[in-house]
Amino acid sequence: MGGLVFRLENLGYSYPRTAASFALEIEGLEVREGEVLALVGPNGAGKTTLLVLLALLVRPDRGRLEFLGQDPWSSDESAGRARRDAVLLTHHPYLFKGTIADNVAFGLKLRKRPEAEVRAGVRDALALVELDGWQAKSASGLSAGQAQRVAIARALALRPKALLLDEPTANLDAGLGLRMESVLREAGREWGVTVVFSSHNFSQASRLADSILYLSDGRRTEFGHENCFSGTAATDGVTSWLEPRPGLRIVFAGRAEGHVTCVIDPAAIRLTAAHNGLARPVGPNVFRGRVSRMETTDEATALVRTSGDLAFRATLPVREVEAAGISLSKEVLITFEPGSVRVVGERPVESPKPS
Amino acid sequence: MIVRELALAVWVSLKTSGLAALIASALAVPAALFLAGREFRGKKLVLVINQTWMAAPTVVIGLLFYGLLSRNGPLGGLGLLYTQTAMTIGQIVLILPLIVGFSYTALRQVDRRARPTALTLGASRRQAGWIVLREARFPLVVAVLAGFARAISEVGIAMMLGGNIRNATRNITTSIALETAKGEFRNGVVLGVLLLVLTLGINVLVQAGLRGRDGES
Repeated sequence: MGGLVFRLENLGYSYPRTAASFALEIEGLEVREGEVLALVGPNGAGKTTLLVLLALLVRPDRGRLEFLGQDPWSSDESAGRARRDAVLLTHHPYLFKGTIADNVAFGLKLRKRPEAEVRAGVRDALALVELDGWQAKSASGLSAGQAQRVAIARALALRPKALLLDEPTANLDAGLGLRMESVLREAGREWGVTVVFSSHNFSQASRLADSILYLSDGRRTEFGHENCFSGTAATDGVTSWLEPRPGLRIVFAGRAEGHVTCVIDPAAIRLTAAHNGLARPVGPNVFRGRVSRMETTDEATALVRTSGDLAFRATLPVREVEAAGISLSKEVLITFEPGSVRVVGERPVESPKPS
Repeated sequence: MIVRELALAVWVSLKTSGLAALIASALAVPAALFLAGREFRGKKLVLVINQTWMAAPTVVIGLLFYGLLSRNGPLGGLGLLYTQTAMTIGQIVLILPLIVGFSYTALRQVDRRARPTALTLGASRRQAGWIVLREARFPLVVAVLAGFARAISEVGIAMMLGGNIRNATRNITTSIALETAKGEFRNGVVLGVLLLVLTLGINVLVQAGLRGRDGES
């Protein structure tokens, strides 16, 4: 990865004239060229506010925000210039009146690109979102998903240095969501575009992102989600692990160094009823817990939350839950393969201590 | 009433009211854009004053400017009383609050996301302002047309500041007043119908022009 695209230092922002005392405080954050960073956190965590700040649409109240090595807020003109390299795609994007082509061409025309280049740019961008041929259609009356795709094309057509997306696949069906994910990945890895996106979908964040920033109440948090654990990676040469709590090791496949965050896919977790007096099975990634919540997401899938040494969330087939005799408050053993642990958000430790 | 006189009256109406609508719009639309985009202390008061001003009778504005422009008035030296310029000034003052009010409502109805969307796609603040205006172009044009219609149909200002001078400041409405006073009701009705047809024609032309350009309603 290349140079720094964003550097934040003691950044603070609070909304003016609002009764709620929400404030975003980010002590430090660095995002490199070509990096894909996910912002994960509950509603009201400050994900959108951070994206709006990164898009240079509002000026931070405190601290420093550098974009491409410069302070964009040194003057109004410099903020305007810098804004041309950072495009924000909002959760419910707004389409201007006119045709789909008018919308996708909007930013290209502002940049005074030649007519032929604008037409080719519009066609290529619409092809990426599978809407080529829709140029002449009116932008009004599109479904939320179609509007989202047009807005994605409108942003991609500009090939900005930083692409900021607020829940980019929220309005898309599963298939198109996956297609958009690959477009975003491509934007990051092949075009060198820095992508920062917010997501509620934790597995999406871990699938797509090189690193994840967890936010809660406007602040960076270490544990932003269930099944997500952070710590310093360690290895004995054979296996690698991190210890989110002393004595509790999450073993993962491969190697990582420095401060890492591990994510365990809820579908990869197995639950078995624990019987009192039974010895804990030997092997990596076995934890004891108690079922704290159960619900069904659809007819066949159950969502089970456990509390205990570590809190987990598992999604299991309903029949498996029934067969294993798992019920609320029941003691369970939680197991998962090291191969199903995904290591994300690896950041080198500044001055590694000898282990 | 001879045709030449009639044509001149129509021309005076179109010229004074058209100019008044253009000048008033150039002042009112930016003012409405400012009011719609900002929250500040006293904004409500400004809007209430504008609302009240909208209801000002034409003769009151006529009287006010008559006082200002008459030979002994503070602006008497300009020699504007009983000229088309005086009629235009009076009509600007008459329709300014109307266009501000209508434009303000039009701009408030533009989606709040339009401006930040334009900014993030690379528009400067000035361009983003234009884009917001463009998003509201239909209701804004209606605001300007409403201003024009109010100006062309008023009689109080034209009479008091123009003086209904034949072949100089006589327009359609003062002609109607004169014909009626003379007992020539038929002429009055014909002129009234002509005024309505003119206004209708301008409305239809402008709206059709807008639709043609955008390809949508």
